[in-house]
Amino acid sequence: MDLTLTSFAPAMPEMFLLGMLSLVLVVDLFLTERTRHITYILSLLSLAGTFWLVLDGYPRLPELAFHGSYINDPMAALLKLFMLLAVMVVLVYSKEYIKQRDMYKGEFYLLVLFATLGMLVLASAHTLLTVYMGLELLSLSMYAMVALRRDNVDASEAAMKYFVLGAMASAMLLYGMSLVYGATGTLDFALMGEAAAKLPTNDVTMLFGIIFMLVGVAFKLGAVPFHMWVPDVYHGAPTAVTLFISSAPKLAAFAMLMRIFVDGLGELHQQWQGILIVMALLSFGLGNLVAIAQTNLKRMLAYSGISHIGFLLLGVLSGTSEGYAASLYYAITYVVMSLGGFGMILLLSRAGFEADKLDDLKGLNDRSPWFALMMMMLMFSMAGVPPFLGFWAKLAVIQAAVGVGLVWLAIAAVVFSVVGAFYYLRIIKLMYFDKPESDAPIESSADLRILLSANSLAVVGLGLFPSSLLAICSASIG
Amino acid sequence: MSFEQILFYVFSSFLVLSAGAVVTLRNPVHSALALVLAFFNSAALWMMLEAEFLAITLVLVYVGAVMVLFLFVVMMLDINIARMREGFAQLLPIGIVVAVLMFGVMYQVYNGDRFAPGDMPVPTPHAADYENTRELGLQLYTTYVFPFELAAVVLLLAIVAAIALTLRRREGTKYQAPEKQVVTRREDRVRLVKVPSEARK
Amino acid sequence: MVALSDYLTVGAILFCISMAGVFINRKNLIILLMCIELMLLAVNINFIAFSHFLGDSAGQVFVFFILTVAAAEAAIGLAILVVLFRNKRSINVDDLDTLKG
Repeated sequence: MDLTLTSFAPAMPEMFLLGMLSLVLVVDLFLTERTRHITYILSLLSLAGTFWLVLDGYPRLPELAFHGSYINDPMAALLKLFMLLAVMVVLVYSKEYIKQRDMYKGEFYLLVLFATLGMLVLASAHTLLTVYMGLELLSLSMYAMVALRRDNVDASEAAMKYFVLGAMASAMLLYGMSLVYGATGTLDFALMGEAAAKLPTNDVTMLFGIIFMLVGVAFKLGAVPFHMWVPDVYHGAPTAVTLFISSAPKLAAFAMLMRIFVDGLGELHQQWQGILIVMALLSFGLGNLVAIAQTNLKRMLAYSGISHIGFLLLGVLSGTSEGYAASLYYAITYVVMSLGGFGMILLLSRAGFEADKLDDLKGLNDRSPWFALMMMMLMFSMAGVPPFLGFWAKLAVIQAAVGVGLVWLAIAAVVFSVVGAFYYLRIIKLMYFDKPESDAPIESSADLRILLSANSLAVVGLGLFPSSLLAICSASIG
Repeated sequence: MSFEQILFYVFSSFLVLSAGAVVTLRNPVHSALALVLAFFNSAALWMMLEAEFLAITLVLVYVGAVMVLFLFVVMMLDINIARMREGFAQLLPIGIVVAVLMFGVMYQVYNGDRFAPGDMPVPTPHAADYENTRELGLQLYTTYVFPFELAAVVLLLAIVAAIALTLRRREGTKYQAPEKQVVTRREDRVRLVKVPSEARK
Repeated sequence: MVALSDYLTVGAILFCISMAGVFINRKNLIILLMCIELMLLAVNINFIAFSHFLGDSAGQVFVFFILTVAAAEAAIGLAILVVLFRNKRSINVDDLDTLKG
């Protein structure tokens, strides 16, 4: 075993996070409800420290560690930075909410940190085994987080559904991995690419392996036809947990897709492109259509999330570097928008009251013009209206699809995007042109308000200057 | 048929039958025990594939810990068995059809031209002093040390999650607190009182 | 001699039985969890068979980790089941109807 520092120095962020996680675990044992903010601060500090370490170790060229199990390349580092930022925002947004619902326990923060570790591992995975370990670390923490509000029936049901479907998807993913292992003889992505190139075209074992693995990955992303869990889990879980599930893990699922299918099986692009085309089309089609019928805001955002995943897949299936960079850009912008959307629900919720119906947004302009404006910007961005962030992201993925000749798919994407704009604009109409249901003032803490405003303004700011983020994404895929 | 083939068919038929039993038996306790039988037969198959350490680990960890946990939970939950069987009759044909279709497809894959005895020959068995455990250990602590540490984290996560979800402290139940028991002092518990003796009246 | 295809076929049979079990026993959560364990068993058989015939120990190492994670998954799944049971006093899936699919 090579025990020199260089063989595991690239993994410093993960090691630091694990160390801090253990510290939080032990410190929390001695705290009471009143002193729980120490756990909160410590968790934020661990995430900030990990962020700094990732930034410090930002690689120019890919570097391998741990005998090829771990890779640190620009895409991994960029994804990790945004994952950590997203999780920090989630922790700040959810503090008041969990206090009001008897979830303000050390275990919440621990599970979030475990999930973050799983996401970091997924971003840097270089073998099928590491992908599986990171995925399970992430998924198991999320199943437990959904159920954490023990006395709530909706949450328990959502957790059970999520667990059963998620465990089945993991089993399918594993079966696919076993077939790919059998066909190529290796778990390592670099060696797998070479072995895959030597296989006869349309090798059945490999094809089946790809299909089974795509089932597992599609589940994690929430793409049709494996999207059944998304609306129920988003609806039933406590909103703080939904905020988490809908944001950072999507980056992790994107990382998984990229690692397995681009790093590992990039040679076999022809075999997986067709399946991804079908999934993308169904996702942005079905997601946009069903979202129109929803009256619950969380379910609406769930279906809108499914449609966004469809757009994200457009970039990946194109198979070009521009396509991958466009998808990376889309994933990051989706996370920013999703944080804002669910953050608004958290803003409007109070003890004993969940602001998750569309009607709860009625007349928001009368109650708080500032936040109605913030929500309007978020909705315009999600709908893809220029000059907001969402528009540039959609443009990038559509350009990628057109670039490989899939013009019909791009046209379908544009059509469904216009159809989908309906339900986003309906929210704006509810906020500005309807009377509020209750005149209760919005009670939430200052840090939530400030951060949510910054979140929504980022959507505008990044939209006005899109080239910088897009350039960073292109450079990372390289 | 060689002895090895006879063993293979015996173990795999028991395996398949017990797997079928898990899925079709009425009583969840019986299903759990059928699953235990399936694991034992699977461990025997793994022994035949020269994965001795994993075979024993399957029996010790999986059967010994996980299935015992399953049985605990099954017996703790008060299950209404009659309701469990609803819909079984109409769902069974669809289930069988799906299974047969999937199997038919997979059979084509496996009995194609890649995995037949001609194309992928049976490897020569290892020498008698080959230690499977040692080989696994060598790999685990060198090449695969990163996933190894992650496995430890996953187990820690399972502990934290399971306790966070299920631990309840009931008011009014009496329990022992050993940490308090060992720090008690005699002065707090025993007080000697001098009681003058009195004559009987 | 027992060929690789025989072992893989056994794995495939197990996988299909567990898929059928998920379809048939949609109402019984405990059996669903057991079917998931059967699926993982099928995957393990595949990995060990490939590992033996390819002469590569990576498959066995993978199975080692699958066993570990499956144990953790079973623990968390059963914990969620217990939480659900304490709330609903039933493990019949029909009763999971407060969230409209």
